[in-house]
Amino acid sequence: MDQTIASGQQRRNPASSTLKMSGELDLAAAPMLQEELEALFTTGAISIFVDLLDATFLDSTALGVLVNALNRCQELGGQLHLIVTDPQILRVLDITGLTDVFSVHSSSDELNPGKEDA
Amino acid sequence: MNAIVDSKRRTTEREVIEISIPSSVDLVVLARFTAATVGARAGFDLDEMDDLRLAVDELSISFGPLDGETCLRFEFLREDDTVTVRCTREPMARLSEVHESVERDVINWEQARELSEQLLNELVDAHGQEVTNGRSASWLRKRHCTSPR
Repeated sequence: MDQTIASGQQRRNPASSTLKMSGELDLAAAPMLQEELEALFTTGAISIFVDLLDATFLDSTALGVLVNALNRCQELGGQLHLIVTDPQILRVLDITGLTDVFSVHSSSDELNPGKEDA
Repeated sequence: MNAIVDSKRRTTEREVIEISIPSSVDLVVLARFTAATVGARAGFDLDEMDDLRLAVDELSISFGPLDGETCLRFEFLREDDTVTVRCTREPMARLSEVHESVERDVINWEQARELSEQLLNELVDAHGQEVTNGRSASWLRKRHCTSPR
């Protein structure tokens, strides 16, 4: 299954970064997701916005990578935000009790990363 | 009339589909495709098919990282509106090209299994693990539910 990844930093606040993932986030994609998140931490990110609007599947391995990144963000004083509307992915978060642990948003318009972490 | 009879017969018959996947994480998607197809034949709605796809994916995770010496064998059994999936880790008849198992080092398998267990508890009616003839297997059972989720 095809995956595309894009990442970037907020110009107003370099400590906030965005990562866009699409496709099916499974065992095959989890290492790539981990690598991209690691790269963002290396550049100094403490808050990360993971855009899953074009993602269609999330299994326990990819979810585990996101949980580890969340823990790391919180240790650094930041937060990991998920932008997600896919019902199946929301169901995965709900079943695992992580909906309220992550900061979950339905669109990027809901938040203003530059202001929030400035 | 014939169409009605044929349709009825199709939903009550017993079907078994088997697939064997070499040790490549990219190919687990084939098991998910098969799950969706078998689920559709059992009369599952779209949500139930999504649940079955995810549950089958989670079965493969229960074995930890894949290697070049084993394969995953999935057996999909449909009986009426019930799907039973059994996943067995078996030695490859012929060793495949050894791939670097990136996920072996990156994935926290203990954490993944805990999340997997939570997901399977909710997604299917029953699931478990067993060892038969020295081979470990994971299985699940899901029945079409007529009431809304």
